[in-house]
Amino acid sequence: MTEIINIIIQILFLLFIFSFPIILLETNTESKNSPFSLIDKLSINIIFIINILFFTSILNINSKYIFYLFVILTILLYFFNFRKFNLKNIKINYYFLIPLSFVFLIAIDIAHELYFEWDTQVHWYLKALNFFQDQKFDNLKSFDVAEHPHLGAYIWSFFWKFPLNSFEYLGRITYVFIYVLSIFSITECLKVRAYEKIIFAVLLISLTYTYEIFSGLQDVLLFSLILITAKFSYYFFEKKFVLNHLQLIIILLGTANIICWVKNEGIFYAFFLLFCFFITNNLILKNKIALITGSLIIIFLRIFIFNFYNTELNPGYFQFDRTLNFEFLLILEKIKTITFYLIIYLTQNPIYLLTIPILIYISFKYPQKNITKFVIYFLILNFFFIYFTYIFMSTETELLVRSSMKRLIFQTSGFYFLAIIILINNYAQLFNNKLLYKHKIRKY
Amino acid sequence: MFAKNLKKNLAVLIIGLLILSFIYNHNLFRKLYNIFIINYETRLTEKYGYCFRESVGFLRMLKKKYKFNFNPLIINYDDSVTSSGWSIYDNLNQTDNSHKILLNYTKNLSLRFKPLNKIFYSNDTVRHSNGISNIVFDLKDKHRIINFKIKIYRKTYNKENIIYEENFQKLVQNNQIIPIEFKTKKINSIYKPTFIEISYLREDDIEKINGIILNLDHEYNLRDLTIIEKFNNCYYVK
Repeated sequence: MTEIINIIIQILFLLFIFSFPIILLETNTESKNSPFSLIDKLSINIIFIINILFFTSILNINSKYIFYLFVILTILLYFFNFRKFNLKNIKINYYFLIPLSFVFLIAIDIAHELYFEWDTQVHWYLKALNFFQDQKFDNLKSFDVAEHPHLGAYIWSFFWKFPLNSFEYLGRITYVFIYVLSIFSITECLKVRAYEKIIFAVLLISLTYTYEIFSGLQDVLLFSLILITAKFSYYFFEKKFVLNHLQLIIILLGTANIICWVKNEGIFYAFFLLFCFFITNNLILKNKIALITGSLIIIFLRIFIFNFYNTELNPGYFQFDRTLNFEFLLILEKIKTITFYLIIYLTQNPIYLLTIPILIYISFKYPQKNITKFVIYFLILNFFFIYFTYIFMSTETELLVRSSMKRLIFQTSGFYFLAIIILINNYAQLFNNKLLYKHKIRKY
Repeated sequence: MFAKNLKKNLAVLIIGLLILSFIYNHNLFRKLYNIFIINYETRLTEKYGYCFRESVGFLRMLKKKYKFNFNPLIINYDDSVTSSGWSIYDNLNQTDNSHKILLNYTKNLSLRFKPLNKIFYSNDTVRHSNGISNIVFDLKDKHRIINFKIKIYRKTYNKENIIYEENFQKLVQNNQIIPIEFKTKKINSIYKPTFIEISYLREDDIEKINGIILNLDHEYNLRDLTIIEKFNNCYYVK
């Protein structure tokens, strides 16, 4: 019973913390002036808070001070806004109860299964434990793979420690919260009725959820953050958000920074996303400068911190003399192996099975919109990245592919939900136009 | 209006059914019940085993019983899992390699090779060996003269990483233990198969060898250590 109560408290705490700052800074969450939905605001808060946590982790600020600061600020904001809340007008958001119940259901599964995957046992758990036991960022060097980013593990440790400081899986519930929120967030792009969006979200969860993704691996964080990026990128292609472009760029840069610090491959994904976004949008000069400057800051920050803490690359993975040894026949052999396993793992992933044919269909069926190009360019870069990663690794390709390609494919799979959204929105638009046309004829 | 309500009710019904199917597929009611009645430590031990696979149960029992103020060296002889050190690791303690915990300890470390075309291969894995102790030929005949070079190696992209190479001239009895006593850590690998090549051996000669067993030396031998705690094949030693 204690554990169930702990889980419920943890979920409520996440809601409480992630309502800071945007939701509380606005007097009314249903404000008509803001084009962002409640889920968008929660996503923005998550991006904001994780970025704060990132800076506290690299600056070695004790996490308890950050916790107290968050709690005090959130309580103060609730207190100051209390008079502005019209209690009579407060309605229960039934739509939001569904994602919350999914967070609870998945948390039950995690609390029961408890099992860590291999990488979690040897890398990620130890990193999380490092921060849980108030050790400094430098101490990560005492573990095997110091070059692996720490942010996902830091988030795990922070919410493992606060508010209850008991079971480790309570920290992993944060991953669940972000995952569920990202899926409900992407479904908001659909131009259909609210309950149809819920059905779509529930189907997406059913399609993607397995316990393994929450077994302490960081891939689900990348999946969710890429999904959130896809959602905010989608807004760029919507007329409704023309006035919010700069805000959206800042949000995208915030997410890109997090993606860079969750896993090493995140650096590439973040820049693929920003690059595709840059070339498929006609941005005004101010926004272009903001995007380029922000991207450069993210890169330099990564390099600076890497050098500042004298982080060394693992010689087992990165033997540059062997890695850059271009032997044509060897490369051909590697390409053959990669292609073989890529086909196998793509067919095992239901998201790709569904979205890639849809993407091909919409590319040929409809005149190519910028959003379609955005998805296609990312797909091409993503596939190039998969090939390059395995070709230039010194470890034997087949071993590496078999142990990691499935996860690598999963990380970006959420992004291709945009293909389904483009299809449904186009189809729905055409369908509505046809209905309107028929109605007009009758009226005439 | 009626059609609209019907559509809405139908959607609510579909959402409900989808949620129920999610609960059913992941057996969540059973799991909720288990969380109520089985405590965290017991569930953890059930998942990772007490003295098999990760053997987390044994490790956590030791930590509780001996109140470790150091991180002992943990060696797991089950090659399909990690060393399990994470389960009792403490950043606040120093590592003390003189205290060792041997999990799933096997008395005899060996690799079994089967014939494959002109060579012999083994998919067995080993992580904690100190070298090759002896070699045993499983022959179809009672004895056989082997007068060739023996090469033990692993492959990375068709490049051979030689572990042991020696000329061999001997009348070999079936299942006779032939001492080698060769110290090497190269024999340890859990990822790649190992090969034995006996040069110039004809195919009909190979057919007369059922298999080869390579017996290995222990890196941590129980005979040289003091046992503090024992449960089946799991040992806390010093």
